[in-house]
Amino acid sequence: MLKNSTVMPEAPEQPQQSTVIARSGSAANQNTLRNIGLITGREYKNRVMQRSFIISSIIILILIVIGAFVPTVITYFTANSNSQTKIAVVNNAGPIAGLSNDALTQYLQTNLNGSSASGGIPTGQSTSGKPRFALTAGTDANTLQQQVKNAKLDILLVMDRGTDQNVRFTYYTNTSSTIDADAAQIQTIASQLNFLDKSSRLGLTAAQTSSLFVQPAFTVVHTAQNQDTRSDGARLAGYFVAFAGVILIFMSVFVYGMTVAVGVAEEKGSRIMEILVNAATPFQLLVGKIVGIGAAGLTQMTCFVLAGIGAFLLQAPLLTALLGHPSGGLSVDIASVSVTLLLTLLLYFILGFSLYATLFAALGALVKRQDEVQNAVQPLTMLFMVGYIASFISISTPNATWIRVMSFIPFWTPTIMLMRIGAGTVEWWEVPLSVVIMIVAIFACALLAARIYRFGILLYGQRPGLRQLLRMARAK
Amino acid sequence: MGLIVEHISKSFAQFRAVDDLSMQVKEGSIFGFLGANGAGKTTTMRMILDILRPDSGQITWDGKNVNEIPRNMLGYLPEERGLYPKMRVDEQLLFLAQLNGLSKQAAKTALDEWLERFQINANRKKKIEELSKGNQQKVQFLATILHDPEILVMDEPFSGLDPVNANVLKEAFLEMHRRGKTIIFSTHQLEQVEELCQDVVIINKGQSVVQGNVQEIKRQHGRNVIRLKLDDDLEALWLDTLQGVRVDKRRQDYIEMHMEVGFNPNRIVEAALQHNARISLFELVEPSLTDIFIEAVGKIAQPDAPATSNTLHVSTTVSA
Repeated sequence: MLKNSTVMPEAPEQPQQSTVIARSGSAANQNTLRNIGLITGREYKNRVMQRSFIISSIIILILIVIGAFVPTVITYFTANSNSQTKIAVVNNAGPIAGLSNDALTQYLQTNLNGSSASGGIPTGQSTSGKPRFALTAGTDANTLQQQVKNAKLDILLVMDRGTDQNVRFTYYTNTSSTIDADAAQIQTIASQLNFLDKSSRLGLTAAQTSSLFVQPAFTVVHTAQNQDTRSDGARLAGYFVAFAGVILIFMSVFVYGMTVAVGVAEEKGSRIMEILVNAATPFQLLVGKIVGIGAAGLTQMTCFVLAGIGAFLLQAPLLTALLGHPSGGLSVDIASVSVTLLLTLLLYFILGFSLYATLFAALGALVKRQDEVQNAVQPLTMLFMVGYIASFISISTPNATWIRVMSFIPFWTPTIMLMRIGAGTVEWWEVPLSVVIMIVAIFACALLAARIYRFGILLYGQRPGLRQLLRMARAK
Repeated sequence: MGLIVEHISKSFAQFRAVDDLSMQVKEGSIFGFLGANGAGKTTTMRMILDILRPDSGQITWDGKNVNEIPRNMLGYLPEERGLYPKMRVDEQLLFLAQLNGLSKQAAKTALDEWLERFQINANRKKKIEELSKGNQQKVQFLATILHDPEILVMDEPFSGLDPVNANVLKEAFLEMHRRGKTIIFSTHQLEQVEELCQDVVIINKGQSVVQGNVQEIKRQHGRNVIRLKLDDDLEALWLDTLQGVRVDKRRQDYIEMHMEVGFNPNRIVEAALQHNARISLFELVEPSLTDIFIEAVGKIAQPDAPATSNTLHVSTTVSA
């Protein structure tokens, strides 16, 4: 009570639960749209012009752009900084596959530096034109071994023949085996050489041998009901966007929902509510606040998404310009992400925010001081968190029944359904159905929230318990 | 017609904040609303504004229930600061004026006029939190009147103002009065009530205890207070033995006493002369509103009520 009286001098007037706040119908309704417009405008402008908002937006934008450039930069630098790997070859095996010393070194040099055998491992010329591997033919294995030990030489490859006439390769290196990427490559060449050597000893011609290497015809047919006709790159991009989208939705709904709750508590704490409520109805205030903050959030999100997509799209041309050819490996095909997926992301963001913001506003209206907001919204945060975590579990099992059921519960739809869409396991009717369910839920929550809000905003007494809340919600 | 409050009651759980209160505020008058802290002033004001609804009874303006009159006819100045602390003065006032139905252009015109009159034009681009308390209160006042409401309901508009700013506000009050607005305001500074108001109501524990025209109330309470100063005898202890006179306070500058009905004040002068005293002050005074207030409310003093202190100003600092 002591604390209260500093805030509220007329201490005995602490309204209790029986308060019947008016302003439900009546005269202020005349200008509903105009008032909502004004309140929305104020909220939006106030939010967007805030220095903290601008600064945090810029920082996040920079991080997004940097994030998009990191893989390219890494690719560029690894391609450029490749120091030559010096290999000495000592051949004690005589001609191998008909190749004598010089020809053999030549063969190894070409195959190691060419883009032939090895699959995913980046090979090839660096931009400077220096070959990745420099081979020299040697004779004295012992001296060369010493050089490897002293790190004057990177690799020593000794070849000889065993009693069965097969070529034996001995690979000397100073690099620890866990980070030695060269060993695998050289091993591949070695087995290739071994193969050629054996087949030549069996009397096959070079052409016959190479025909042995031709890949068989191999077609994959998916028989699952949802035939995912997307290419690997597109599928990966779908996952990627859904993944980023879920994080984006979670963060933004939480952050902006919190902003709504804090905003309401702030207005209540600064007593401007008493003036506002004389000029506009609680419903107008609630809607105006949510739309205003939502619009500010959407502006920020749009900037982030556009910057992110723009930065990603820049990467392929950039790599081509830097390296003279597009990057190897599996690229995320962002351009292939359908507009539909992005629109779904937008739709789920708007719906998710609307749903949670109404509840955040109602909870914000119940606290007495601003610093209590964090506690008051905890149950709501938990609820949202469940869907967030479940959506990550759903990546591995997008078709599990419980995931499908959860994806239709409006509080979890924005996260889980989005992930399912990304996984490509959604029937055509599922998204529209989830949207309808969400809209119904939003209306229900908004009605409930408007009532709690109406009571809460002028309630400066103790925080009402669940029973009082129910009574508020039931009151006309 | 004006504003008529008829038998309103309002309870919060077990607590009865307003109890069968009736009062009438004439259109175009300045009405003082007095009462100790917790007497039910704010609750009554909120009911007049239709922010709260009475449990029983009704409040009408020109015969219409207050929940039916357009919002922008009312201007409300809450007891505590009710502004966005981080918003600029001009943006804030424009927003509130527009929310109360003014067009953007009309709001700008009104804003320019009033900022000039209140001498805070230099502060128009500042944030509220950067202003002094007095200037904040001025802005709060502007937020109440900018949309030109007919009825002004102000909860302690003078609290926290220095004499200079209080005067500026008083001038604005009179300006609104000249424009025919009806003003209801609560205060603890009773001189302001005596200076500004035609009518007052004093409420205690939610009930009206004294009500009516300020001059009439004073007359009713009669000219039964006497002030006396004797140059060579500040105590004048013999007064205590005088029949029909009751000494209220002995101050450094005078002694104040009550006399019974029918007591002839000349007898005090006679008695003083008998004691060979030199009279430097003898005055029959009207009771101040402060006295009436204390008489009406003080007997049933609340823990933090102002009744125990000599002047009522103290209470404003308590509530601030």
